[in-house]
Amino acid sequence: MLTVDGLTKRFGRVTALDGVAFDVAPGEIVGFLGPNGAGKTTAMRAIMGLITLDAGTVTWHGRPVGPDVRLRFGYMPAERGMYQRMKVREHLVYYATMCGLRDGAGPAADGWLDRLGLADRADDVVQTLSSGNQQRVQLALALINAPDLLVLDEPFSGLDPIAVETLSDVLRQQVARGAALLLSSHQLDLVAHVCSSVVIVDRGRVVLRGDVAAIRAASPTRYVDIEFTVPTDFTPPPDGRPDTPVAPPTVDPDRRRHRIPVPADADPGALIARARATGPVLSYAFAPPDLSEVFLTAVGRPAHGDGDAPAGDADG
Amino acid sequence: MAEPPQRPGTHALGGLEMIRLIARREIGQRMRARSFLIGTVLIVVALVAVGLVNRIVADDGPGTIDIGLVAAGDSRAPFERLATAAGEQLDRPVSVTDHDDLATARAALRDGDLDVVVDAGRGRALFDTDVDDQTLALVRQAWSQVTVEARLGDAGLSPAQITEALSAAPLEAVTVDADDGPSGLAVLTGTVAAVLLFLSLQTFGAYVLTGVVEEKSSAVVEVLLVRARPDRLLAGKVIGIGVAALVQFASAVAAGFVALAISGLEVPGEIWSSVPLMLVWFLGGFTMYSTLYALAGSLVSRQEDAQSAAAPIGYALVAAYLLVFIFGYDPESLPSTVLSMLPPFAPFVMPMRMAAGAASAIEVVVAVAGLALATFAAWKLSARIYEQVLLRRGSRIAWRDALRLLRHS
Repeated sequence: MLTVDGLTKRFGRVTALDGVAFDVAPGEIVGFLGPNGAGKTTAMRAIMGLITLDAGTVTWHGRPVGPDVRLRFGYMPAERGMYQRMKVREHLVYYATMCGLRDGAGPAADGWLDRLGLADRADDVVQTLSSGNQQRVQLALALINAPDLLVLDEPFSGLDPIAVETLSDVLRQQVARGAALLLSSHQLDLVAHVCSSVVIVDRGRVVLRGDVAAIRAASPTRYVDIEFTVPTDFTPPPDGRPDTPVAPPTVDPDRRRHRIPVPADADPGALIARARATGPVLSYAFAPPDLSEVFLTAVGRPAHGDGDAPAGDADG
Repeated sequence: MAEPPQRPGTHALGGLEMIRLIARREIGQRMRARSFLIGTVLIVVALVAVGLVNRIVADDGPGTIDIGLVAAGDSRAPFERLATAAGEQLDRPVSVTDHDDLATARAALRDGDLDVVVDAGRGRALFDTDVDDQTLALVRQAWSQVTVEARLGDAGLSPAQITEALSAAPLEAVTVDADDGPSGLAVLTGTVAAVLLFLSLQTFGAYVLTGVVEEKSSAVVEVLLVRARPDRLLAGKVIGIGVAALVQFASAVAAGFVALAISGLEVPGEIWSSVPLMLVWFLGGFTMYSTLYALAGSLVSRQEDAQSAAAPIGYALVAAYLLVFIFGYDPESLPSTVLSMLPPFAPFVMPMRMAAGAASAIEVVVAVAGLALATFAAWKLSARIYEQVLLRRGSRIAWRDALRLLRHS
């Protein structure tokens, strides 16, 4: 179990981390979320010993994390970094040896080249690989020592859907064999799909953490989604009733899909009946907020907007 | 889908193992590079070619003095004997040919087959276009001795008496102030050591610089620093690139000896003894300067900034190199003595002073200690700055600030 507690780091007058605390247990995938500049990368670097903290502790199964403990960790930085002029296999063997694998370095490299479909590129120079393949090599570098803890900074960024599937698969296998996994991402739908729990940070502080389903359920808001077969103007009920929206509904430009936030204890039945009376309904649903809505609420940005896409794309 | 690879056992690398691993990567990368192979081959080929050219030139060069003798009569035999003896003193063989008449001799002179024609009848020495002083002196001496011998013979002396009368040992040339200048060997050793070190650092110092910046400018540094301490990363890099440089240096020295051997030049036997001296100072100088290059590299995060950060080292290097040619040839002088003990200049100036026997033991100790201290300080400081790379992305650290860091560490 990775436990970070009270992580604090200041760069000049900027406080990057302000008492960050969370756990990552073996067999668990924790999504590390937050807007750009929230402190995710700084926290991950602190776990990997790349920066010295002003305060706070990082422990693994209760032991302070030092270089020897970190040998059992794997890390993928946000910015991909490899020696561009080294051959792929040579690079993996080199790094595996650095991780202390010694005689196991060659077999480990070959194993991952096979596993990630890079066996035929083993003797190619890194810079001749496509960015997708370079990404795989980077992943192999993080996994080469079969780590107990994986710290991946935006592993999904820049991947096509097929690569995302491969990566998700590999990560699930790592967790299945007992690894603990912390990954940061801005692709919240992916995080919801892959992670069992999340830690949301904003301005250097943890603003929300826990099991994804539990924090969604804990929201005071539910959404009624109604899809009409034809463009329809649907007016929610007036104030004072229990199913009154807590915020203006979101309507797709073609006026078919309506998403209406209501209190968690509201009865959706009346709202749906009202919709059916208004026009032909194709489908309806009653659900807690999705992760991106939880995220936006947690970091204090408006979750209910005018139909703009919620958080999900990162700009760097 | 295949099972993930078996979880292998790990065992942390010790400091020296880590440095060796890093150095081995650098050696592999550098020595496989086409530029390294081409550079080494070019140096070897150039040196061997110089040796070959020397040999060819030496064969054709100012060798035999061809003398044409016209109407010499009885004087022919003694002239040849005396001319040959005079030639021996000059280290030049002499060939004397007879010509019946002046016209054929002059034709041979014009064709270049002869260097000089001695017209015995009229007591003249004929040259083609220019009078060669050495040749003239030689034929004059030979001819005057022939004349003297003839007259002594006429006066009734026996050939033995004549030989005795004329045999005076030539004066030996001695310089009374010989200790002032370094011997040819010392100059050769010092010059070769300085040139090779300078050339090596031009190439391999730049490798250290760009190698460090390459890591810093890409996130590979993040992946590396998770596993290895920055001082070990830098030590491995300097050592690895140093081994590649040493291989090239050794190739150059070996090619130099081959060149000397085939050139036909006379080589002082002591030249072998200067090799360890050159090697030791090469290693010391290379290590210090390339560590300084590593320091310059650690100050910047982009290749564009690397050259300007390394500029002060480049100036020091060129200055040290040029100072060898200004003060190095005067190894006893005060500037030479002082420079040979200052770290930036010691690797260039000290080999010549040592080869000339001008450096005292204490001076050598001071020089070596200064070099070691400077190298160690540059190493530790560069590691400290390298470590901060993640916090200082993109910005260049001024040398001033770097030195301040040194004071605080």
